[in-house]
Amino acid sequence: MTALLVLLQTALLVALAPLFNGVVGALKARLQMRRGAPVWQRYADLARLMGKESVISEDASWLARAVPYLTLAAILVAASWTPVLLARSGMSFAGDLVMTVALLAAARVLQALAALEAGTTFGGMGASRHLALSGLAEPALMLAVFTLAIGAHSTDLSTISRAVATAPLGWLSPSHLLALAAIWLVVVSETGRVPVDNPVTHLELTMIHEALVLEYSGRHLALLEWAGAVRQMVLLTLVASLFLPWGIALEPGSVALWRGLAAWLGKLLAFAVVIAVSESVTAKMRLFRVPEFLGMAFLLSLLALASASLLR
Amino acid sequence: MPLAVIDGALLAAAVWGLGLAALLAALPSPRARGGSLAALLPSAARGTAIVASLALAAVGALRLAGLETPPLTWDAGLPGGRFALGVDALAAPFVLLLGVVAAISFAARPAAAPGGASRGERAGMALHAAFALALAAVFTARHALLFLLAWEGMTLLSAALVASDTRSARARSACFVYLAISHVGAALLGFGLLSLAARAGSFDFADLAAALARLPAAEASPLVWLISAGLVVKLGLVPVHVWLPLAHPEAPGPISALLSGAMVKAGLYGLLRFAWQMPGLPIAGWGMTLVALGTITALIGALYAVVEPDAKRLLAHSTVKHAGLLALALGLAGALARNGQTALAGVALAACLYHAVGHGLSKALAFLSVAEATHAGGSRDLERLGGLARRLPRLSAGALVAVLSLSGLPLLSCFAGEWLMFQALIRGYSEGPPPLRLLAPFAGAGLALATALAAAAMVKLYGIGFLGRPRTPAAAAARPVAPGIENALLLLGGLVAAWGLLATWAMTALGAPLGAMLGPAFDPTALVTAGGLALAPPPATSASISPLAIALLLAVFLAVPFAWARASGGRAEVRRAPSWACGIRLDPRMQYSALGLTKPLRLIFGRLLQVEREVEVLSQGSPYFGRALRFRSGIPPLAERMFYQPLVQAVLWASDQARRLQAGNLHLYLGYLLATLVALLVWAR
Repeated sequence: MTALLVLLQTALLVALAPLFNGVVGALKARLQMRRGAPVWQRYADLARLMGKESVISEDASWLARAVPYLTLAAILVAASWTPVLLARSGMSFAGDLVMTVALLAAARVLQALAALEAGTTFGGMGASRHLALSGLAEPALMLAVFTLAIGAHSTDLSTISRAVATAPLGWLSPSHLLALAAIWLVVVSETGRVPVDNPVTHLELTMIHEALVLEYSGRHLALLEWAGAVRQMVLLTLVASLFLPWGIALEPGSVALWRGLAAWLGKLLAFAVVIAVSESVTAKMRLFRVPEFLGMAFLLSLLALASASLLR
Repeated sequence: MPLAVIDGALLAAAVWGLGLAALLAALPSPRARGGSLAALLPSAARGTAIVASLALAAVGALRLAGLETPPLTWDAGLPGGRFALGVDALAAPFVLLLGVVAAISFAARPAAAPGGASRGERAGMALHAAFALALAAVFTARHALLFLLAWEGMTLLSAALVASDTRSARARSACFVYLAISHVGAALLGFGLLSLAARAGSFDFADLAAALARLPAAEASPLVWLISAGLVVKLGLVPVHVWLPLAHPEAPGPISALLSGAMVKAGLYGLLRFAWQMPGLPIAGWGMTLVALGTITALIGALYAVVEPDAKRLLAHSTVKHAGLLALALGLAGALARNGQTALAGVALAACLYHAVGHGLSKALAFLSVAEATHAGGSRDLERLGGLARRLPRLSAGALVAVLSLSGLPLLSCFAGEWLMFQALIRGYSEGPPPLRLLAPFAGAGLALATALAAAAMVKLYGIGFLGRPRTPAAAAARPVAPGIENALLLLGGLVAAWGLLATWAMTALGAPLGAMLGPAFDPTALVTAGGLALAPPPATSASISPLAIALLLAVFLAVPFAWARASGGRAEVRRAPSWACGIRLDPRMQYSALGLTKPLRLIFGRLLQVEREVEVLSQGSPYFGRALRFRSGIPPLAERMFYQPLVQAVLWASDQARRLQAGNLHLYLGYLLATLVALLVWAR
């Protein structure tokens, strides 16, 4: 039963990841008075890419071919203990919040290496920016993790989720809300969303994430795109389950699980609306303004921690 | 007990073997006769050294498995006890690390030319073996005077090796800085240890520990601070780390591996042995100081690694970062142990010991493989390398393992230690002593930032140095590396992966030294749960990670998409094609350079780094028609600017003032004599 639930939750994250991007795209199109692509478009894109030939640079080593698989696998491992419907995971013993952060960082390091394989300019550009920005996001993220872990006396994902869900109005404490604000800024940066990066840009001089995968094509590109979507899904689900765990099932049971599913989908839809609106009304920042943006996240995390220790 | 006898014999074999190897290597080979025996000498020296190092590793491993050995003793006829060499529980992990790193470093030495070794090669090998012997003596000495002699020998031999490889001015100046700072440290350490020995009336470590425990705090703590200050020089904490990035990269690769992999840990070993008050408790404030210094050191090391263009020096800066992490974990353990939280202190101390070995293995591999690569590519400057992964795939695979491990990737040997440090910080924040509540969040955030920056530095090292297109003709024509060396490096790569994957077993094996430091109140089995498969700081409910389970999952998640991609897109093959450069001919200079890759980080941290940048347009006549651009950029070391320059100026100022005493006037000097005489008479009255 526990194994089945682990499998089910991972499968949900993987299967619905492209749909989330499709929904955000459709919402943005509506907000911008366009008709836009159908929400299923991302699946069609992936299927098309999967069937295409993959081209690898003559200058690349074996690493370039391995990285799409390694990236996807690392993110899937992180997904396997993410609490989606149920705040009790059979995989809790294998990994915690710090391990999730480390696996996402591992995927980032591998992708940055692969971007330098082809010996062209754009890969280096993507790697350079990606390393700088996620390097700055890391301390803010870790401080937010710190705040959560102190409240729950654990860095285990399910334990944190249960602790927040069962504490009466625990999510309303100032430290929790400040940490939520901080982690949202980090998630925006890590998923390459406006105002840090534009996921639909094709203008070389401004792109960050897109430049990292520019040298990939066909099946490899499909795997990397999918991995990116799953990573975004994992991060958003973490926000949903750790900071806003209303409706998440505390014990396995069909009614509780269905309620958990409905709550999770509802929260994701709300996130999609927030992202679509904020991407439509804000412009992308200059690259060197982003450190200030992440500095704000760091400051918010620090305030969260300070208020957590003051208001105990 | 027969096993103990074997163990004692192993230690003797290791010590005598290393000495014999040094002698064999130093023997002049009579090449006139061209005899087969003379030609065998260098190989014999190398083989002996490898076997002796492996014996040393075996001694460490057996001690970790719980086998107590009788120490080797020798009556030198000195007062204060017999000279003794032995491996106790605390020394065991360090001895194991030293044995493994030394064996690989000897195996990775280039084989001598068929005509017999040259004088320089013979001297290099002899010094290498003697240096390994001095390190072994530092870790196994049970006698304070012997320890100090070995410590000094280690410094002098490594300084000779730092200056041996090139006759460049850079190596000489690095050697000078290294010797100067090391001797200040050695003087502090020697003064502290000898005063302690004078109080104890013996040089034996057990007597020293007893004496330190007996002394009142007001007398013990200055001694402990003195000893710590002397030891911290070898560990390389800010601000006495400046010698490390200068000296470590100047030595040949195998020596750099020993310096960064093992010698830095001698500082840590000394702190555990003498400053922790050998099974007592650390003095007040000691732990918190180390936590603060360690965090700053880790950040500074990582930041300078990011901006460093020289491949080997980048690795040395990364060593500074990891030394900072070790100090952070040790300080945390000290602060918690003093506060009575033995279980939690055990988590931090386990992180420290595990990371010491994990970093030692990874950094040795990194130095050995990068030294080979820079040798093959003809330059240590990253901007002049590139494309080595295609040309030297096996060597590059070794370098890749080291680089990924040093970026803190899960499943490799540097991750579990950092994870435990983070857990101990979180718990220390909620339950630890009040000063820790202030420091822990900053240490945690600093740990995260340092790890992210180190990952960026490692991506730069491998991505610019090994991947992409060769940046110079010399890099394109990189010579192949001897297969024996590549095999040794891949073996070490396997050990790096094993130390990470089998972290739970490693933690169990470290139970003996942990118990020795923390006393019987500490239960080492509490660090491991889920039937020995998962690592968890006690209580087991808090959180756990299981490297083996993750490796298994990773294998499944690698296999499924791979099989699916193969099955679904059978016709979609992978094709190789030249890189697309928007229609123009691709030039290696179009790639991002090491300087360009880290430009964003250099700009973001510009205030701290104080980058010097100079662009000059060389023109004839009108300045608007430049003929050439000259660009120069450099980053002056922060510690030199903020600490050493004022220090040097203060010394110069003081000597200037002192010179006024010497006015050259005979009457004044007679006056001095008179004043001294009167003062002496008054004093001796």
